[in-house]
Order: sequence, then structure tokens, then C-alpha cells
Amino acid sequence: MAECDAMNEQMPLLLTESLGREERERAHQHIENCAACAAEWKAYRATWSELGELPEVEVPARVKEQFLSTIGASRDSKVIPMRSRLAPGPRPSALPRWFAQAAAVVILVGGSYYAGNRTAPLRVLPSPATIQSVEQTPYSIAETRVLNASAISPNIEGRPNIQNVQFVDADASDNQIGVSFDVTSRVTVTGAPTDKSLVRLLSYVLERDNSTSPSRSNAIDWVRRTYSDPNHADPEIADALAKVLRNDTHEGVRIRAVETLKDMSPASSGTRDALIDALKNDPNPAVRIKALEALSNLAKAGTALDAKTIDTLRAKASQDDENPYVRVKAAELLSEIP
Amino acid sequence: MNHLSDQELMKIVQAGDYAPASEIYDRYSGRIYNFAFRFLKNAEAAEDATQEVFVRMIKYASQFQGDAKLSTWLFSITANWCRDYLRKSDNKAKEAEDVLLSLPASSEYSPERDLERRESELRVKRALGALTAEQREAILLSRYQGLSYAEIALIAGCSEGAVKTRVFRAMETLKKALTADVGGGGRWLNATR
Repeated sequence: MAECDAMNEQMPLLLTESLGREERERAHQHIENCAACAAEWKAYRATWSELGELPEVEVPARVKEQFLSTIGASRDSKVIPMRSRLAPGPRPSALPRWFAQAAAVVILVGGSYYAGNRTAPLRVLPSPATIQSVEQTPYSIAETRVLNASAISPNIEGRPNIQNVQFVDADASDNQIGVSFDVTSRVTVTGAPTDKSLVRLLSYVLERDNSTSPSRSNAIDWVRRTYSDPNHADPEIADALAKVLRNDTHEGVRIRAVETLKDMSPASSGTRDALIDALKNDPNPAVRIKALEALSNLAKAGTALDAKTIDTLRAKASQDDENPYVRVKAAELLSEIP
Repeated sequence: MNHLSDQELMKIVQAGDYAPASEIYDRYSGRIYNFAFRFLKNAEAAEDATQEVFVRMIKYASQFQGDAKLSTWLFSITANWCRDYLRKSDNKAKEAEDVLLSLPASSEYSPERDLERRESELRVKRALGALTAEQREAILLSRYQGLSYAEIALIAGCSEGAVKTRVFRAMETLKKALTADVGGGGRWLNATR
């Protein structure tokens, strides 16, 4: 019973992938053998998943305008080349006065943020690596199944609720990778990056609509490292990334997706369409800029941009209410097209 | 400027050039606003928080340490602002104003699916609203921002142990409030080819 209580307290850590490998495996071993904890774990996962139903809300445009106005920077200042940091020029006239006022506020209130944290300067430890070796598994327990990708079906049935996804590349030279995850037990699927079962599994991880953002971000980073190699190029991976780019509510995830698409070649028409859609419709200008960079990469790699793409670029370059950076980037890309 | 890292942009700001302010805003305003909106449950206050966080970022740029993550620093400022806001008794009364505020229906889904999503959204909002401010802060940073417990501890000004406790208690409360049918399994893994 005491073990169940301890296990219960560990479940949030399991959900956030914050447990070490040994603790995680021990936890799963217990959950598998304890009906009460298995039910509890199922409820935790359902709760975590339902929390994902809260949509992202867009920031009203007036907030940015007010911010830029407050600090004395106009929207147009974003496209003015920066002054050299070695030989800084004079600041805009409003700034020294504003800064003096700000300094006075700092002195008066003693600093808002750091005053409350003066004994703990903000230092963030590096994140733990997400790539772990199968060979170093300290436990050889029955609940961790290692399956070869060639032995399982590439058709994933029933939209399984997979959790705690981790990626494995024990030996970078052997062209074998692995994906570990929890389903009804801990499973590691290993195989070549080009193996269809692995490709489908990775695509599924990328596309799952109830995936937590950190898992999806990790998945995208890992896909980028693995599938940027032209020898591993697979259109299904590119399609999955394109869906993430179109559908994910987290802008950070969409940015990662477009950055990954940028590095993948050769680009399919689906990839190009997804980039165009992002450029036209994504609410976040950072994503739109990344989409432009990706299109620029395609053009430089010799991919001919079709009339639809060029029309979109022209529209963006001349759109009055578009972010100035997006407009400049679109114009630059148009000028690069022969 | 979008090719520069957060640290590089902040170095420019620290040197007195505010040209990167817009770029930094574009990178983080969505996360900051959503965090504040969910924490305070008040759209107007979330707008004020977002604007003030970026103004403070400029004001106190010199205090940003280059080896820290900008996101963590910005969330620290945001959380401080939000806590101050909630401390004021007048503001507590405003908390529930936006709880029932729903987003426009999305044409992306069928009417039935759209209704389901909106009901689910409402359930989640109510459940989050039942948490204490500390628990809500911890769960929002963990679940929606994907921050580690160490990062949340820095932001909340408490120990990692305290963060674990807050997340645990929050999850216990949320679990009671939310129920969902978890489907799927690993059947396909048993299908050989």
C-alpha cells in the first residue's frame, strides 16, 4: 500500500517525463502488476490528455503596438539596420529620458524581479539528453519489450495512446535507430530509419493531436537530426511535419516543424504547399518568416517555384498590414528567383 | 534579425539598442499571453501582463544573464506580475469573468466535434479555475509551456520539491474534475507482417 502511495505521487513525474530511466521502469513495472495503480495511471493520462483541449489564444495586435509605443520604437524600426555595436550612434532622443526614468524606478523599487530572487541568480541547468542507449539499460525486465521494426506491421491501428516517447541511437554508425514509448507496457521499436514501420511510427508521434508539446518538440528535433540526411529522406515524414505545421496550436512546435522541413530534401509538392499555407495563414510572423526561409532554401536547391508560390510571395511583399520583416523577406526571395 | 539567438538579441538590447524588441516580442508574446490568460482568467489583465512583461524586459535587460534561457526569465517576470495582480483584492473578484468566455466555433471540425471540443475546453477551464494560484501556475508552466520542474522552481521562487507537490496536488484535483475515455492500445504491435 505504501508503495502504491509513493507510486501515486510519482505519476505526475511520469507524465512530464521527469523521472530517471531506472525510476521510470520501476514505476511501469509496478503499474503493470497493480490493478489499482494501473487504473490510477489511466486516469492521470486521460486528465493530462484532456488538459490539451485548451486552445491557444491569439494576442490582440494592439498589445504589440502599445508595447512598441511605450519603449519608443515604431513598427518601422524593425526594418532599420542595427547600429554597429562597436561604434554606437546616438539614441533616439526619447530614449535617454525614458531610460533615466526607468533607472529611477529601478532605484526606487529596488528592482522588481531580482529583488525577490536576490539570493538565487537565474541559472538554468542544461536539459537532460533525450537520446539514450538501449545497450545501457540497467534493467532487463519483462515489461520492456524490444521489437524489431521489420517484425511489426507498418499499419498502426486504433490510434494507440502512446506516452513518454524517447529516441535511441546507441551507435551512430550502424544505421539503426529506436523509438521507446509506453503503451500498455514499455516498448522499444528498433530498425533502420528508412524502415516503413519506423517511419510510420515517427509520423504518428509527430501527428498525434493529444501529444504534449515537449514530446512533440523532442520528436521533431530528433527527426531533424535523423532525416535531414538525404539517404533517409521519406515523403511520409515530410507529410507528417507538414500536418504539424498546419495544425499544431503551439507556435514553438510549428517553428520547429518548418525549420525541419527546411533541411529536408528533396521537397515534395506537399511540403511546398504546407510552406505556402503557413506563409499565407499562420498567425505567428516568426512561423511565416521561417516558411519564407524554407522556400528560399528550396529555390536555392534548384526547386522551381510555381506561379502560385510566386503570386503568394508578391502578395506578401506588398501586403500593407503584414509584418515588415515578412514583407522584406518575401521581396528578397522574389529578387533571388531567376 | 530573426536569425539571431535570444541571447544575441538580448545583448543588443543590453547595449542600448531596442531594435530587437519587436523580434523578441514576436517569439514569446503568444506563450506569455496564453500563460497570463489562463493564470488570471481575465483577458484584459493578460493583455496588461503581456505588455508590462516586455516593457520590464527592456527596463531590466541588464539583469538578464546570457547563460540563462530567455523564456525562463520572461516567465519569471510574468509570474511575478500575475501574482502581484492576484494579491490585490479587487482583482480577485475579476478572476472568474472570463472563465466561461469561449472562442468562436472553428469551421475546421464538424458541428458535433466542435461542440465536444468546446465542452471539453469549458470543463478544463473550470477545473483549472478550481486550483490554487500556486498549483495553477505550476501546472500551466508544466503542461502548456513544457518547462522542467527546475525551471518552474526558478520562476516560482520555490524548491523543486515544492513544485512536485504543487503539480501532484493540482493533478489530483484535475483528475477528480475531468474524466475521459482513454482509447487505444498496442494491438498493432502484435500484428506481424
